[in-house]
Amino acid sequence: MRSWAIILLILLTSNVPLLAQNKQLLYDFTEIPDALMVNPGMLTDYQWYAGLPVVSGLSIQAGSNALTVHDLFADDGEDFNDKVREKAIDRMGIRDELSGTFQTHLLNAGFRGRNPDNFYSFGIYTEGDAIGYWFKDLAILAFEGNAPHLGRRFNLDHLKARSEMVNVFHFGLNKRIHKKLTVGARAKIYSSVFHASSTKNSGYFVTTEGENNLRANTLVADMEFRSSGLDEIKDALDDNENTSLSEVLSRRMFFGGDLGLGVDLGFTYHLNERTLLTGSLLDLGFIYNTTDVKNYSLNGAATVEGIEFILPEAFSNLNDDLWQELIEEVESLIPYENNTKSYLSFRPTKLYGSLRYNFGKPMPSRGRCDCKDLVFGRQRFKDFNNAVGGQLYVINRPRGPQAALTAFYLRRFGHALAVKATYTVDKFSFSNIGLGLSLQAGPVNLYVMADNLLAYGNVADSHYASFQFGLNIISWGKK
Amino acid sequence: MVNKILILSIITLLGLVSCVEKQNFDQLDDLFIEPTIEGSILYVEAPEDVFNQPIVGGSVSQDFNFDGFNEDIFADRVLEGSIIYEIENTTSKELDLTVEFLDEAKLILDTMYIHVDPGPTATVEKEVAYGGASGKNIEIIKNTSSIRVHVQNLGDNTSVSNLPDPKIIFRSMGEFTMRIR
Repeated sequence: MRSWAIILLILLTSNVPLLAQNKQLLYDFTEIPDALMVNPGMLTDYQWYAGLPVVSGLSIQAGSNALTVHDLFADDGEDFNDKVREKAIDRMGIRDELSGTFQTHLLNAGFRGRNPDNFYSFGIYTEGDAIGYWFKDLAILAFEGNAPHLGRRFNLDHLKARSEMVNVFHFGLNKRIHKKLTVGARAKIYSSVFHASSTKNSGYFVTTEGENNLRANTLVADMEFRSSGLDEIKDALDDNENTSLSEVLSRRMFFGGDLGLGVDLGFTYHLNERTLLTGSLLDLGFIYNTTDVKNYSLNGAATVEGIEFILPEAFSNLNDDLWQELIEEVESLIPYENNTKSYLSFRPTKLYGSLRYNFGKPMPSRGRCDCKDLVFGRQRFKDFNNAVGGQLYVINRPRGPQAALTAFYLRRFGHALAVKATYTVDKFSFSNIGLGLSLQAGPVNLYVMADNLLAYGNVADSHYASFQFGLNIISWGKK
Repeated sequence: MVNKILILSIITLLGLVSCVEKQNFDQLDDLFIEPTIEGSILYVEAPEDVFNQPIVGGSVSQDFNFDGFNEDIFADRVLEGSIIYEIENTTSKELDLTVEFLDEAKLILDTMYIHVDPGPTATVEKEVAYGGASGKNIEIIKNTSSIRVHVQNLGDNTSVSNLPDPKIIFRSMGEFTMRIR
């Protein structure tokens, strides 16, 4: 027990980065019940399991594919402004992102039904997710202004960002259809704490030589920012209301926020005794944002060449306030509007797939022997102590699907210890090596996972890192 | 027990081998964002006929409200810059042009004169700097609330230029460096 306390202490106090929406280490790691969350159609042999609330299923990720903390903040004596210019303004593109995710299970449990082919799981987890793409043109405009860029169009669609926090209530069924095929589905109810997005922007700002005057500034804009739940949180933070932040969060987390529905689907198919094909589709769902909604939009087009006073026509309106007229004209051409209309937001859907080859020594089953299996010839395929394979991960992002490819090796040391090593290639890194450990001590299952380990030499110089941790109690029933 | 030690060892090892080179987040305080923005200010166009009308006489003068400079978003951030004038005269008149910057109380903060020869003339350009080491006081710009343009006809009230569509055109733009951070 003492050693577990030390492990926890080390995890909580070490400088291991708590920085992967892609749970390539957890995926199809069948020793760990939490892996059901990334494939509801995973092979299960548990009789029941229960995760330790809050601690179980903890995962945190952060990534920036183009820039690291070290790039900017290294104590190297270089001028900070030069570093920002060279490494961010000049180098980064509009597909470069800064993103982060966290997930923690408040409740996670599962049990086998009377029909031993059915395994039910249920629980509640909280998830936060944010992504912002590098707004290159807007950054150049902010840092340099329009003066050095006569004729350059600053694209407004470079602004793409989204963030949300949801509490998810789920119930899933994992069902063995026959010896070769196991499928799973999970229904989800989302209770949104907040949502904010500005992802459908288009238009440009350009400065050109004027038709009459020396310069013409043209803005063509179709921009939108949508949010729900932010004002309540802001008010609680500002202490403007007599409501604490914890009250707001807990209310919105438990059906007091915006609600939505979703589903996870998954399967495992044995191509033969040793080869498995798996796949899952997660968070195919939406949230209907109706509470505390604030939408802002800027839509229109205008070209300004300053105040124009053309005689003799202007003699008839010598007393007019031409400045005010100009302002009003621009405002009418590009109206800035806000409203509280409800809107739909879609969850970032994820797709996993894998092909796995088992080899080595057969592993004895831990599951309960069911006589029906013997009668109907539906025994499970044997497990082996080694497995290799490849995984695919795709997530729907504001700038389109984002994929990752993983090669993995899984090694089991009896039923007590299993180790999974991964090599992942994605937009963040071509050298992402990860390691996951699952330890079974009696009924207690503990797992720890971290990736991009090569970057641990200088964590601040890492583009990406993730950490996952979980603690479950598992029973395989009496043999 | 062996397994626990193995796990503990690996995690401890990770903790030990992982390190962070020294970072200096105070550098953020050194970040300055100073874009240079530009845009047109005022365009005035007057055909030669205007100066030949008895009601106008020898001069045209007009005040223009211009709150762009004393808006907080500009006035609180502007560091230095310049105003560029361009005058094009295709009339037969010799003209004196005066531009005055006025504050809210209509007090004159700054005056700029340009003499323009009768057409055909080359375009007259003038740039006036504000702020910085050599420019006029930037406070002039920050406090400007309106612009007065005065055109004095130094010629007669009858002649007509033989150039097509004779007129005087006054163009102006500002180019300013702002401190956003």
